[in-house]
Amino acid sequence: MTDQTLASHVPAPKPAAKPARGIWRQGWQRFARSRTGMLGLALVLLVVATALIGPFLAPFDPQDQSPMLDPGAKAPPSWTHPLGTDRMGYDVLSRLIYGAPTALAVGLGAMAIASLIGVLVGGFAGYRGGTTDEVLMRFTDFFLVVPMFVVILAVVRLLGVAIVNTPFESVPYLNLGVIILLIGVFSWAPIARMTRAEFLRLKHQEFVEAARCIGATSGDILFRHILPNALPSLIVIIALGIGGAVLAEAMIGFLGFGDPAAVSWGQLLYFNYEALKVAPWASLSPGLAIFVTVLGFNLLADGLTDAFNPRAKA
Amino acid sequence: MTSLAAERRAAAAAPGQAEAGAPQAPVLVSVENLRIRFPPWNAPLKVVEDVSYQVRSGETMGIVGESGSGKTLSSLAILNLLPPPARITGGRILFEGEDLAAKSQAQMQKLRGRRLAMIFQNPGYSLNPLLTVGAQLAEILKIHEKLPRAAALQRVEELFRLVGITDPGSRLSQYPHEMSGGMKQRVCIARALLCNPALVLADEPTTALDVTIQAQILDLLEELKQRLGMSMIFVTHDMGVVARIADRITVMYAGQVCETGDKQAVFARPSHPYTQALLASTPRIDKSYAVDPQGRRERLPTVGLAATPGQSLGGGCRFAGRCPEAMPECSRLVPQAAAIEPGRVVHCLKRGSAGVPGHG
Amino acid sequence: MRVFVFLARRMIFAIVLMLGVSAAIFFLINAIGNPIELMMAETPGMTGEVIERMKGYYGLDQPPFTRYLLWLGRLIHLDFGTSIVYNQPVGSLILTWGWQTLKIQLPAILIALAIAVLFGVTAARRQHSRSDFAVMGTALLGQSLPAFFLGILLIFLFSYTLDWLPSYGAYSTRNPLWGSPTLDALWHMILPIAMLTFFNTATLTLLMRSNMVDVLKSDFIAAMRASGIPERRVIYVHALRAAFIPMLTYLGLLVGLMLGTAPVTESVFTWPGLGSLYVAAIHQLDYPVIMGASAVIAFMLICTTLLTDVIYVLIDPRISLE
Repeated sequence: MTDQTLASHVPAPKPAAKPARGIWRQGWQRFARSRTGMLGLALVLLVVATALIGPFLAPFDPQDQSPMLDPGAKAPPSWTHPLGTDRMGYDVLSRLIYGAPTALAVGLGAMAIASLIGVLVGGFAGYRGGTTDEVLMRFTDFFLVVPMFVVILAVVRLLGVAIVNTPFESVPYLNLGVIILLIGVFSWAPIARMTRAEFLRLKHQEFVEAARCIGATSGDILFRHILPNALPSLIVIIALGIGGAVLAEAMIGFLGFGDPAAVSWGQLLYFNYEALKVAPWASLSPGLAIFVTVLGFNLLADGLTDAFNPRAKA
Repeated sequence: MTSLAAERRAAAAAPGQAEAGAPQAPVLVSVENLRIRFPPWNAPLKVVEDVSYQVRSGETMGIVGESGSGKTLSSLAILNLLPPPARITGGRILFEGEDLAAKSQAQMQKLRGRRLAMIFQNPGYSLNPLLTVGAQLAEILKIHEKLPRAAALQRVEELFRLVGITDPGSRLSQYPHEMSGGMKQRVCIARALLCNPALVLADEPTTALDVTIQAQILDLLEELKQRLGMSMIFVTHDMGVVARIADRITVMYAGQVCETGDKQAVFARPSHPYTQALLASTPRIDKSYAVDPQGRRERLPTVGLAATPGQSLGGGCRFAGRCPEAMPECSRLVPQAAAIEPGRVVHCLKRGSAGVPGHG
Repeated sequence: MRVFVFLARRMIFAIVLMLGVSAAIFFLINAIGNPIELMMAETPGMTGEVIERMKGYYGLDQPPFTRYLLWLGRLIHLDFGTSIVYNQPVGSLILTWGWQTLKIQLPAILIALAIAVLFGVTAARRQHSRSDFAVMGTALLGQSLPAFFLGILLIFLFSYTLDWLPSYGAYSTRNPLWGSPTLDALWHMILPIAMLTFFNTATLTLLMRSNMVDVLKSDFIAAMRASGIPERRVIYVHALRAAFIPMLTYLGLLVGLMLGTAPVTESVFTWPGLGSLYVAAIHQLDYPVIMGASAVIAFMLICTTLLTDVIYVLIDPRISLE
């Protein structure tokens, strides 16, 4: 039984001149042709570069408040301070640079946690099926419904209060770590869903049957056969998730729940928002930085969809 | 497949009958030198190239070809329903005195469903899943004949009965997903017949169905043909189906017409090498395939392997790359129509066609 | 009849979910530490009388599970307790501030939906044209632009630079716009709604466009054209309906997203809504408000999901009620 629609009468594109060399190579070639994808990659690399080498090039230490004396707080951009100074006398540019590694740490850290949980839950559910699947999916649905943001705010604050006068208080960046953990814990649901869908789709394919015929163990099948084939779709979701995690942390910081020891763009906004009228550079710069980062990852995800699954987009 | 063999034997036994047949009915639709192209427009894909055929009133024209032969596109062109970005770039489609290819979409909309109707390949996809079948068909009547709802539904019910749908009254309020494949196709046939069209185009209407249902639908179409004197263009890739339902046949390959003629004549005396190869490659139940001295069976004849995809060839006859009788001129010159018998036309240099230099 | 059975099953599931969420809220917050002791650590100077009253009220001398049941029991009677900070019943606080949130969220979603349908359909019809890329590009950009950054930009532009619109709050403290409190309120609503609308429109437009493109390629649309149905009707009645249905599930998610990020949007505009109430309560450790507001937000989300499912089933005949 054929499945043709009228659309299938549109002739297929001419085959590529080069022979296919595996989906990764092919994917990269297609990705390179996607303008959005390449732009996204450029932006992401920009942020990564800032995070890695920026701290060595930053003119001021992020905790240095000496500009308060000269040229003073809320000073407009100048040669010494290309982005001006903020409400508390910090150099905006330096703090902006130091915010990059925090953002990346959050994005990558949270998504690492989310991916781990999500792939395990979703993969298990998809592979096993039956009651395991049902139960796990209800569990996932719960996490999809819960408003991550609202809960994280409460937990971060309460945790902060609970550790007062306890040995935990002196752990550096504990607050940030908790934020990363929580964002990860609330972001795994979409990954689980996608993993489950992919596993469900793949486990019925013939190459899995073939692998079983030659005696591959379940573990073999899962890790060497199914998972690599599910990776392309997962990578897209993870890329989107990194952007989302950075955004989430920015929002948490903006509301004042960030880690005071860490320099984060959201926090910069929190400190300087009141001065928006008189010192817009102090608020607009971190905001722009967040935008560029999130945009970069979103465009990257767009390009990746083009690369691995060109039919997924219209 | 047996019917095919039977037909051929019958046709071979009575060669004179090919020219007799139905008294010459008037020509209903005449496709002349149709050209359909796909972008990019600086180097377009010529998916249908210089296709011509005629369908007479009351006659069923079977268009046969493999995937990519352009058979569906050329019939869609009659309704001006080419999937974008395809465009008709040349030729005429004469119907009831007018050139359909020159009409605008708005003008075509008045003809579609009323004078021209179409049955699609996959009945599951060609019905709106969100509406009941009764509502969908009634809407067409409301638009074309301005019937009020009750009258429209009644007419739909009559048509359901005509196409053999059991318990037609209760079917009206059913949704497509509640029906079987065969039932859905009957609904689609009913939809095509709503306003008594002059011409029905059927695009592989049985391909998506089970073989047993296929037979039922073909029976139905034959019955309707007799009762209503329907004119039909039936597109298919299945020689057996076309042997059953068609009066005349047009064989297409890679966007070009190979030959056209009465069914009996084409089956009994296939002229174009492609047609010959197609017919020869059908496994025959009445033939015993020989075993040679080494104990190997005679191989089933096949159509030769394609040298290159048809559309990117030099511009002559597109079958030249696979043709067992190809001559050097074949890939350069486009074979024109040559009449080999009354009512039969073939496009082949080897069979007497004149050749016109083709463009790449 | 089947509709009722289905509704009943979904509602039971929603109630179970509600119970689960409320338990989670309660135990999470209380597990982190005994609320009274935590408050003592944070706010020195709490009088013994307040501590005693709260202990009695919350029954802190009893095991956690009993406390949960007590709280749940009161919750069902819509008794959310009294705010420590404002000294008012939490319920009335939630109503007043919640209304402010609805004032900006609802119009934003409705306007966004209308714009998304309009632009999505137009873009899908002109697929691959320049207008299509323009729409897609803007939508993609809009999706990536952090909502609150847009808010900040809007305030900076329209309020501080151009001085056309107010920069904070829901009402002017003095001199309402042109002397009319209603107009004044509306004037204050413009920027927040604009921001929310922009954000919603971006995602909804992309989705609508994508759905519409798929639908327009389908055979039944071609079949309808082949039957002579006028193009306008084919697109704006039939194709639209088919493309719109998957949007409903997304709308449910969107409401959840909006509610979830309400704290941020309201903080940007200093809007006195549920989100601001919640954030303030967390900062000040106003437990009754925290728990009450969480419960209400969770409840609204669960209701939205339930509603979306029900509407979906009623609209799409292909979904069977099982």
